[in-house]
Amino acid sequence: MEMVYALYLLGAFVSIILYKENRVAGKIGFSIAAVASAIGVFHFLLSIGSNETLEIGGNFLFHPHFALDPLGKFFSFVISLISLASSIYSIQYADEYSKKGSIGVMAFLFNAFILSMLLVVASANVFWFMVFWELMTLVSYLLICFNDDEKSLKATVIYMGIAHLGGAMIMAAFLLLAKSSGSMEFAEFNITNLTPLSASIIFLLAFVGFGSKAGMFPIHVWLPKAHPAAPSNVSALMSGIMIKVAIFGIIKFCLWLPVMSWWGILILAIGALSALLGVLYALTQHDYKALLAYHSVENIGIILLGLGTGVYGLATHSPVLASIGFLGGLYHVLNHATFKGLLFLGAGSVLYTTHTKDMEILGGLAKKMPYTAFAFLIGAMAITALPPLNGFVSEWLTYQAMLQAALGDGVLYRLAFTLSIVALALTGALAVMCFVKVYSVIFGGAPRDKKIFEKAKEAPLSMIIGMFVLVVGCFAFGLGATTVVDNIMQVVHTFGGNYTAVKSGAIASPLGSIVSTPMIAVILMSMLALPFILIVMSINNKTTKNTVRETEPWACGFKYSPRMQMTASPFTGSLRKIMDWLFRADAKVIDQGYFKPVKYENHAKDIWWNIFYAPFIKIVSACSNKAQGFQNGNSNLYVLYVLAALCIFVGIGYLI
Amino acid sequence: MNTIFWMIIQVLAVIAIAPLFDGIARIIRAKMQSRVGPPDMFQTYRDLAKLFTRNKTVPKYSHWVFRYAPYMLFATTAAMLAAIPVTYSTNFNGGVISDIFVLIYLGALFRFVFGVASMDSGSPFAAIGGSREQMVGVFVEPVMIICLIVVMLLAKTSNLVEIQYMVKHGEIGYQIPAFAVASIALLWAVYVESGRNPYDLAEAEQELQEGLLSEYCAGDLALSHMALTIKQFAMIGLFLSVFEPWNFENPILALVTFIVKTGVFYVAAVFIDNLGPRYKLLKGFKRESSFVLIVAFISLILYAVGV
Repeated sequence: MEMVYALYLLGAFVSIILYKENRVAGKIGFSIAAVASAIGVFHFLLSIGSNETLEIGGNFLFHPHFALDPLGKFFSFVISLISLASSIYSIQYADEYSKKGSIGVMAFLFNAFILSMLLVVASANVFWFMVFWELMTLVSYLLICFNDDEKSLKATVIYMGIAHLGGAMIMAAFLLLAKSSGSMEFAEFNITNLTPLSASIIFLLAFVGFGSKAGMFPIHVWLPKAHPAAPSNVSALMSGIMIKVAIFGIIKFCLWLPVMSWWGILILAIGALSALLGVLYALTQHDYKALLAYHSVENIGIILLGLGTGVYGLATHSPVLASIGFLGGLYHVLNHATFKGLLFLGAGSVLYTTHTKDMEILGGLAKKMPYTAFAFLIGAMAITALPPLNGFVSEWLTYQAMLQAALGDGVLYRLAFTLSIVALALTGALAVMCFVKVYSVIFGGAPRDKKIFEKAKEAPLSMIIGMFVLVVGCFAFGLGATTVVDNIMQVVHTFGGNYTAVKSGAIASPLGSIVSTPMIAVILMSMLALPFILIVMSINNKTTKNTVRETEPWACGFKYSPRMQMTASPFTGSLRKIMDWLFRADAKVIDQGYFKPVKYENHAKDIWWNIFYAPFIKIVSACSNKAQGFQNGNSNLYVLYVLAALCIFVGIGYLI
Repeated sequence: MNTIFWMIIQVLAVIAIAPLFDGIARIIRAKMQSRVGPPDMFQTYRDLAKLFTRNKTVPKYSHWVFRYAPYMLFATTAAMLAAIPVTYSTNFNGGVISDIFVLIYLGALFRFVFGVASMDSGSPFAAIGGSREQMVGVFVEPVMIICLIVVMLLAKTSNLVEIQYMVKHGEIGYQIPAFAVASIALLWAVYVESGRNPYDLAEAEQELQEGLLSEYCAGDLALSHMALTIKQFAMIGLFLSVFEPWNFENPILALVTFIVKTGVFYVAAVFIDNLGPRYKLLKGFKRESSFVLIVAFISLILYAVGV
């Protein structure tokens, strides 16, 4: 573990030292990150069930001290895995930014970002946790700034604002907890003198604080703005793993505190809302990176559904329910990291060659970039939870967990869990619609803009390798589900109940339902063989020549033009029509005269901005307008302010 | 291994017999519409055989997703059918595939392939068909899942083989009000999923759900047609195996009975098909799905309050 951290540190410093040799610095920096991640993947995976500690010197004023328990190991594994793919990808992708900024600096920040996430997970006391937490935010902020246009600057400010709010809440939660247990060390946290009320307050602070980073509803607004604004290799890290670090925080707090059953229901409700709203807003997007970001909101919702069930299980003292809930949640953490990383890398390849984020003018790219198209298709199928890929397994486990919880007593609990199952099912149906749209509008059909299509070409080798690392992940975590479940159970049984999750080669839920993805794959493959046999039989027939003729698509007898084909917005048109009470889209029809095509715009609004944020922003800007009087630029006056502040604090100190 | 063998046998049997029922349905439909119709009930076999001998044409903008979609559609629906516990109704380990969530997500896989292929063809009609297929999914999925949740909660498992066994032996069943109400709503969902009027009209290809078919020809078209027929059998089979599972334990007898039962439902659907009115897709759904959704919710609430 020391070696992994040290390698990232080395990567960071080597790349910043070499920053004058711009391209070389990037190549070396990202390669070191890749090596470090590869070592990390094996190290954390092989030792997943054990504890590990790390101390750096003892002579500091506040000696740094890190510890990894199985849960931390699991998250470290996820972080290293996505970092591996993303850093291999970045080796050539970063060239895109050689004119916009220094690649050396980018590699430095990239390494620092991964390292700070690993150290947040490994921190063993409040101080270092908060330091690395804020470092993670700051570094990701700087990384977003690589695309410095007006839009991304606005996005970063919103991101920083919400991250500050979240950071403050987490800090408050930590301090309250530390005060009641009299120690800042995680290991010494104890909850004996917490009243239910103060425990709930701490939980709510931590939940909202971490939730703001995770992008759960209604604190999700920054996510679809900031993630697309970042360079794609960084988006993959942010959406793939940074938001998972927040999930790690929520789990930690739930394990420290004396959980209550309504916390579980709250997490569940927020999860169901995030999942549904995330996918609904994703459906209306034209910007494919923003769309993927909204899907992160959705998937965080799905993860929270699993965790909520787990927390409910802990609270009602049913350890088996807790373990299946956490199993589903953690499995989805791994899966979402894998396929969302993959999708963002794929989106990055498209952006790299087409330089546009608007999918309405793309099309037919599968012919130009077949490997990227394949990788993206696998990512899309995994995120829509299609069997036998990985997303399916974790959603199946989440369903089983919620089913089991719904069997319990209490009408309200039963309704809460069954409605969450319905929400998850509906989310699944909508996600299919959404990813059909993304994949086929970008990669399928006829090119909508000839110029872009002609210039497009397959991404360079390192980018393809980076994506295929995760494609292999999607298959492996799907087909090798029993191994993954075995490993996650090692993590889960340290705090939940233990039950045999793998029975004779199939995954089993405590209820006794079983599923086996390899078997599904076998059935699908054997069924796939059948039509081929039919075709081969018919080819032997003398009248058939084995040639395929290519023609224009049918257009009711008119001459076909690529403009006739479906684009992204009409594909979801009927859905947007019936959901207009939520989207509040204002459709604009712009007539540009007889000889030009009519322009039609229809953009859904995120109404939550007006409900939750606009009032606060108004108050803050009104207050700052009032406060302007204090800032008159006279340095003597500022000295007076400092003095006054000092006196006040001395006074307060004296009184206390 | 034994289970897989029986699964494949049951799929092969249904594929072999399904066109016969389709032929019968076509004759009845023709009679109801005062047309002459096909000469005998083997017309669908002849159509398929002829299609397989034809040369292929594909839209030139499409890539391999469109070109191999018929195979994928066929495999997916066949897998759905394999997941219906007919011939292996006593082997609970068959639940590794025969699981309600597996069935639902195989349906999602079908819709995904269908949608991507329809958009990939570049044809405007095919894409509208793909879009509508997704909308149908959005409307049907909640109803279907609510009904199945009630069943799963009553049976305390999602293993379809076990559920079927319990219903067969009267451990759960129509004596429970929630179960009975759920069966009504699920019947609607199954009817819609099987792609019939007023939610779909397979004869008017260029404007509705099956718009995709307008871009396929020859063997591809035959395979897609077969896939759609198999899907109807699978959906009816799902309903039957949960709500009307009475059948033999001997695999061969069970298979014969199953095919006859689903075939009767398949043909009977022609009557609803032809006697019912036609709506615009959204209007029809708004009218009816809200009603059915309420029915489904009633069954959920009945379960929650413990009736």
